[in-house]
Amino acid sequence: MTAQITVTEGGLPHNTLMIYGLVGSLVLVYLTYLNTVTGTQLFSFFGGLGAIAALIWGSDTIKRLCSYGIGTGVPSAGLLAFGSGVIAMLLATRFGIASPIVALVLGFVIGAILGYIANNILAMKIPVMIQSIAELGAVGAMVMIGFSAMATGSFTFDALSAVPVTVLGATVNSFESSLIGGSLLAAIFMLGGIALQHGFNACLGPSEQQDRTLMLTAEVGFLSMIMVAIFSYVYLDLFAVLVSIVVSVIGWYYTYDQYIALSKRDAAAWLDSKPIVEPEGH
Amino acid sequence: MSALGAKPAAAGDIDPISSVIGIVLAVVFVAIVAVLAPVALMPLLGIILGGVLIGFGVHFVPVGGAPAAMGQAPGIATGVAMLAAGAGLAGLFGGAWAAELGVVVATVTGAVGGGLLMAITCMMVNIIYVFGMGIPSASGKVAKDPITGDTQPEFKSQGTEGHGLPFISFVGGVVGGLFGGAGGTLIYLMLLEVYEHYLPGIFDATAAQIMPVAVSLAGIFAIGMFLVNAVLAAYNITGTIEGPHDPKFKRFPRAIIASLVASALCGLVAIMIVVVNLNI
Repeated sequence: MTAQITVTEGGLPHNTLMIYGLVGSLVLVYLTYLNTVTGTQLFSFFGGLGAIAALIWGSDTIKRLCSYGIGTGVPSAGLLAFGSGVIAMLLATRFGIASPIVALVLGFVIGAILGYIANNILAMKIPVMIQSIAELGAVGAMVMIGFSAMATGSFTFDALSAVPVTVLGATVNSFESSLIGGSLLAAIFMLGGIALQHGFNACLGPSEQQDRTLMLTAEVGFLSMIMVAIFSYVYLDLFAVLVSIVVSVIGWYYTYDQYIALSKRDAAAWLDSKPIVEPEGH
Repeated sequence: MSALGAKPAAAGDIDPISSVIGIVLAVVFVAIVAVLAPVALMPLLGIILGGVLIGFGVHFVPVGGAPAAMGQAPGIATGVAMLAAGAGLAGLFGGAWAAELGVVVATVTGAVGGGLLMAITCMMVNIIYVFGMGIPSASGKVAKDPITGDTQPEFKSQGTEGHGLPFISFVGGVVGGLFGGAGGTLIYLMLLEVYEHYLPGIFDATAAQIMPVAVSLAGIFAIGMFLVNAVLAAYNITGTIEGPHDPKFKRFPRAIIASLVASALCGLVAIMIVVVNLNI
């Protein structure tokens, strides 16, 4: 079976979208630092928004990579992104205030080396392979750090792995109830992975439109964000949790509504469908 | 699924220049660990061995993809990422329970866990193929099953590449699960050893207190590395393979080099998390 999955032209160029996603996710994740500056926990939800900015960028990268027909399915690209992203993100959390920038850079570096392995050692010979896997590594790292920051209000290793609790008047570190120690990170891993891969996996094919694919990614991202907002109940005060949940639900409702509207728009455009191109050879 | 995009079967030639560059990179990663954290050197070698086992094991697993779901190609009707994650995680859970009993017992337990999951999966897949879809098992790549000697072409429908899960593919799936489960568990055990050594110093806490963080970190890193190795191996076989009798199986040396480099890189990063000490 050989067939190219055609990617519809039009929409924002990939590089423009990449800049938006990169800068947007970095700025939004850093906005959670307002928690430390102002001494509240209200700004945690910016982490989730940063993760969604990265997801939209990553969804477009997956579309670009998978349009070459890598043969292993769209989900594999999403899982590779998060497999390398979580490794980059966890090391990056050791760098304190610089964590988001380090996560981005480390994600790019690890992804670029994995891309080189796939493209040259495994002889995939896909022109965009190295750049795409590098971007996906960075996306994975930014999504993980964004959702982690949303759940705990902070993105440093100490805050993610130890929670201060008061026992008999003394404050001690509780490791088993932290984001890493309690393995909530594993749930964030899968929530992000689903959001990243689902958009293009569901929308690929003839008459695929960039805005519809990205809107679906954002919608699934907001669904994941609702879950992360619920996780944050463990770590944040009730008011901050409510703010997170309200922002996520509003975001989800808006993107869902938009996605349905775009689907109805594109359903009418289906009439102009063309046969799938079959290149020579089997 | 973009299994649609499977490329023509290329010969499994090793690209010498990029392979050498890759191996040099791997040696550099190991050297960095040897200098910065000599205690973690043996665990890193264990991690690399685990990664190579995973990369090799994936080649045994009969991955059918979308064509298999339509009964047009043999194998389990899903992608490598799903199958490898299933076998690897089942192995990892099995092995993690036995972590206290030593490396050998835990690794074997992990292998049994992974193999068991693949055996159950293969059996249920065949039940669905035979009794649900009404198709017999027939390989499209060989005339006779290498183990049982059963002939295949009579059972193969015209216009397909074979269908169902022949005996050799079943055996391949179980062997792949054994390798994958053992590899995943080995990575987990090695990382756990490193974290148990370093984390008490970082948090100024007792070994028992940091245990949840050590277990969780080792677990999530093991999952990450498992997925990286499995997806790279999946790229090597361009998505679908029938099992150890498939001509694509001969490409495995490439995947071993790739897994070696990727595991060295990921292992280095996973070890660095407890070695770098920055108070910014």
